[in-house]
Amino acid sequence: MPPDHTAAADNTGTPSPIFAIQKARTRFFGLTFDETIRVFFGGNAFVAVIVLALITFFLFREGSQFFGQNRDSLRTYRLAGLEYVDIIRQQEEDHTALTRYLFDIRLKAVVKLTEEGVDAAEAKRRLAKFDDYAERYGDTIVPVRGLVSELTEVATDIKTRYNENEDYKVARQQFLASGMKAEAEAIVVKNLDFSREILAITGTFPAYEQINTEYAEALKAAIAELPVLPVPELQPRLERFRELNREYLATFPTRTELLKNWNNNAPVGWSESFTQFIFGTRWLTASFWQDWYGIIPLFVGSLMISAIALFIAVPLGVGAAIYVNQIATPQEQKLIKPAIEFISAIPSVVLGFFGIAVLGQALRALSQWEALSWVPGFPYSERLNALTAGCLLALIAVPTIFTLAEDAINNVPRAFKEASFALGASRMQTIVRIIVPAALSGIVSAVLLGLGRVMGETMVVLLCAGNRIAIPDFTAGITAFVQPVHTMTGIIAQEMGEVVRGGIHYRALFVVGLVLFFIALLLNFLAQKIVRKYRISIG
Amino acid sequence: MEKSTFWVFRLATYLILIAGFSVFGDIVVKGSATVFGAFKTTSTFPYFTNTFLTEAPESLYVFEHKGEKREMGDREYRAFREKETAAALAAGQPAPQFKADSYVYSAGGIWPCIVGTVLLVVGSMTIALLLGVSSAIFLSEYARDGAFVRFVRLAILNLAGVPSIVFGLFGFGMFVIYFDWNVSLLAGWFTLAFMVLPVVITASEEALKAVPKGFREGSLALGATKWQTIRSNVLPYALPGILTSSILGIARVAGETAPIMFTAAYVVRDKLPWDVEKISDFFFQGVMALPYHIYVVSSKIPQNEYTARVQYGTAFVFLGIVALIAASSIVLRNKLRGRYKW
Amino acid sequence: MDTPAATPASRTFNVPATASAADGAQTLIEIDSFDFYYGAKQALFDINLRLADKRVTAFIGPSGCGKSTLLRCLNRMNDLIDGTSVKRGNVKIRGIDIYGRDVDSIELRKRVGMVFQKSNPFPKSIYENITYGLRIQGVKSKARLDEVVEKSLRGAALWDEVKDRLHESGLGLSGGQQQRLCIARTIAVEPEVILMDEPCSALDPIATAKVEELIHELKKQFTIIIVTHSMQQAARCSDQTAFFYMGKLVEFGETRDIFMNPKNPQTEAYVSGRFG
Repeated sequence: MPPDHTAAADNTGTPSPIFAIQKARTRFFGLTFDETIRVFFGGNAFVAVIVLALITFFLFREGSQFFGQNRDSLRTYRLAGLEYVDIIRQQEEDHTALTRYLFDIRLKAVVKLTEEGVDAAEAKRRLAKFDDYAERYGDTIVPVRGLVSELTEVATDIKTRYNENEDYKVARQQFLASGMKAEAEAIVVKNLDFSREILAITGTFPAYEQINTEYAEALKAAIAELPVLPVPELQPRLERFRELNREYLATFPTRTELLKNWNNNAPVGWSESFTQFIFGTRWLTASFWQDWYGIIPLFVGSLMISAIALFIAVPLGVGAAIYVNQIATPQEQKLIKPAIEFISAIPSVVLGFFGIAVLGQALRALSQWEALSWVPGFPYSERLNALTAGCLLALIAVPTIFTLAEDAINNVPRAFKEASFALGASRMQTIVRIIVPAALSGIVSAVLLGLGRVMGETMVVLLCAGNRIAIPDFTAGITAFVQPVHTMTGIIAQEMGEVVRGGIHYRALFVVGLVLFFIALLLNFLAQKIVRKYRISIG
Repeated sequence: MEKSTFWVFRLATYLILIAGFSVFGDIVVKGSATVFGAFKTTSTFPYFTNTFLTEAPESLYVFEHKGEKREMGDREYRAFREKETAAALAAGQPAPQFKADSYVYSAGGIWPCIVGTVLLVVGSMTIALLLGVSSAIFLSEYARDGAFVRFVRLAILNLAGVPSIVFGLFGFGMFVIYFDWNVSLLAGWFTLAFMVLPVVITASEEALKAVPKGFREGSLALGATKWQTIRSNVLPYALPGILTSSILGIARVAGETAPIMFTAAYVVRDKLPWDVEKISDFFFQGVMALPYHIYVVSSKIPQNEYTARVQYGTAFVFLGIVALIAASSIVLRNKLRGRYKW
Repeated sequence: MDTPAATPASRTFNVPATASAADGAQTLIEIDSFDFYYGAKQALFDINLRLADKRVTAFIGPSGCGKSTLLRCLNRMNDLIDGTSVKRGNVKIRGIDIYGRDVDSIELRKRVGMVFQKSNPFPKSIYENITYGLRIQGVKSKARLDEVVEKSLRGAALWDEVKDRLHESGLGLSGGQQQRLCIARTIAVEPEVILMDEPCSALDPIATAKVEELIHELKKQFTIIIVTHSMQQAARCSDQTAFFYMGKLVEFGETRDIFMNPKNPQTEAYVSGRFG
């Protein structure tokens, strides 16, 4: 308090002739008390920015080495010859798929015969020829299979010895680092000469060529004389089988070429490590053979569950928003809004528990109900699947979508509505033609934010999605939606507690987190962009 | 035609409510049996206790004894077995064989989880309120439109959309590993606080904005400094609003599982949080928490009649707590809206 | 004695040379070639004005003419709005440039008080409302605060009405009382200048009359500048009047002259009610 002012105040009625308004505040580090407070609050506001930066930083910090480790893993995969073995194994697996095709035909034939009133023994007798054929066909692969299992052992052995050696090296380094020279000396590191070791695998190439030629001959012979089915309608399928075999045979030369030119020293690039993650279709961990970290099965799972959730939540949420804002009486509004807000407060883990305890079973029972058998995918047997999780996530997305969509509808200027009524439009026409289009971008951004909420939700999918790490089988069309899936959020929650810190699996989970993080930012960005546009258009 | 379309919308609305309340109803009906069935009389004041709310989880043993089916908690079962064996030996008979099925966590109660959840909520909300209200004061009172503020607002908006599991990963990477706090209360506090920060900031800013401009101008025109104005003429009037809206943040903090899975929660812990040797140990200990306990009991143990008791009971208590918090927020807010008309 | 005969204002606008010095008052506020901007939009153009001590000056003009903006420039309340800036000219009070580098706007506001269009008592007791200004300056003595409360309330002609309920909320008063409470609150910190931004626009005629009466009393102690929409009010309670139009000062002079004998045709049109 400046002294002159006190004087003025005491000296009532006669203001001081000196007009003292000069700065006279105590300063610390050049800041007045007030400015210090301002800086303090500003610093706090900056925390949000810092946190966002820290999230990015720590996800990168823990995840960034993944691609290097994955590259090493892929390099070992190649150096130790596992890749070579997998090329042949693929051939074997393709054959297995064709065998399965034959079994499928047989199954259909049996069904058909049973429908015709043929008993099981008789059906078996009539199919004897076919079975005989199928068996012979299946046996053609045996030599190849033998080779594969032999090579698998060799390759595994090489890889194991290599990994052991790497561990020794690390141990030795650690001993040296902590000054224990004697212990370090005691560890014998035998560096593996891959180019020599690999001969045990690539050396079998002539043998493979021979086996393969014989195998090809056997296949050709097999498809030359197809068996006659007791069910004539299925005969075209056998023709198709022949066609598939021809296609299969056509791949043989490329495969042989691939094996011939295969080189265990071919460099593994960063891009390979990266594409194996982004486009990889296998998430396979703790495997004795080779671990794969491909995000696609998880991503597809997340996407599929989100799609189900939004499919349910968007009509309900937007419909409810229109109803509450445009149609409902004020009393109803007063009731519904808090109620929906209340639903949004139900913790997701409770919803997940409800899914396990009640909804999974209820939905399965519903699917087994005769009257609903027309629904694709019904009936199904897995209690926990994408549909169960999707339904629960819909309940999580609805409040978000409802609240934001209701806001958007509320922001449509009254004048629009009044003008429409003045032109003689009915309430329904006004809603459909005026209000919803005017609020559309707001609604779209609401849906995007709802999607973000659903994609990022963890507990429900962890508990209810079935947690099978595989890309759902889309060949059966829409029925894929009742298959169990795994998700990006779920995999982190499930596996984070079990992995070795600093290991490749651990880092892979952080990279998945990073992907989730950027998806969330992207959705947020899009939602904001749409809303901003919308503001301008309303003016 | 128009009528029927209206009915479609009405149906959508009520379908949501029905879905929500059937979840709620199922858990309340089945869970309340556990909780209210656990009242027991005691010999000391207040002459009753609720074993489900006050005991720690135990394994449940189900066995047949002398043709009778018995269910017992871990401690009770051991005592019973010893007693029976001793009795049999005393009577010169061979020791009875006990073949029991055991179900983990299915007996006893959830007291440590309740304690843990309360500790997590109190700590994280304290941090979140300190940071959040300060940020809101800056944004609403001090900030002038500019690159910095736009940047901050953008960060807040984006932070709000970050999935909770990502917060969990971040908390794990930063607090648990980098700061080496291990799985601890402190790590959980900060992780949850950062997660709820956008909610608190937005709520606080709204409450601050609701204080009429005239209060600020009037105060400034009397020669008050900005901080004096905020402290005596803005904050006191915004505080009820800030706290009310922040309750929603509390509901969120209490309800989240993913962020605490790797940062603060233990599957099981024998000691209660205050059983520590040093004060500092208090902050660096993991705790049991209700949401995580629900996850554990619903995914790690089978679903059957013996486990349903604790599953539904935990879910009921948890839902009850969160619902109470959320409801009080909604009610308080409606009250405030009526009261503060300047 | 300062004679503003040669001020730019009088030259530009042909205001009678002796306007502000007619009754021998001292010049308190000098505004020179003052340009003011909201962002890129210029709100005030080259304002030149001399305001006398212990007089009531009214700023009149149609909405958006800049009169309130100028008023708020006099205690730098405009500083609080984003993007405002003074591009040219200066405002001096007692010869001190209030936009000078070493001026503390907080100190300035203690000496130049303000009453707002919408009465804004704090939601505290009447007593606390009055003592707020002193408390934030660190005055703690109960006796002194009591004394100031009574004096200020008497000064605002509110004492008799509220003396029995000093500790009730200021929001419980009627609109006119609230506005007088705000005036009392302002005079409690003993400013030299009181700025009034349409203080009666929300009041009924009786309350308005009371406030106008009060203004008459207050000018013995304070220099008062009042922005008003009502020409009658300007005519009733001001000594001098400045007419603004489109951010420019059109005419300034003795109130009687402005209303009876305006020099500028725009002024004439406005005061005779042809526009605005």
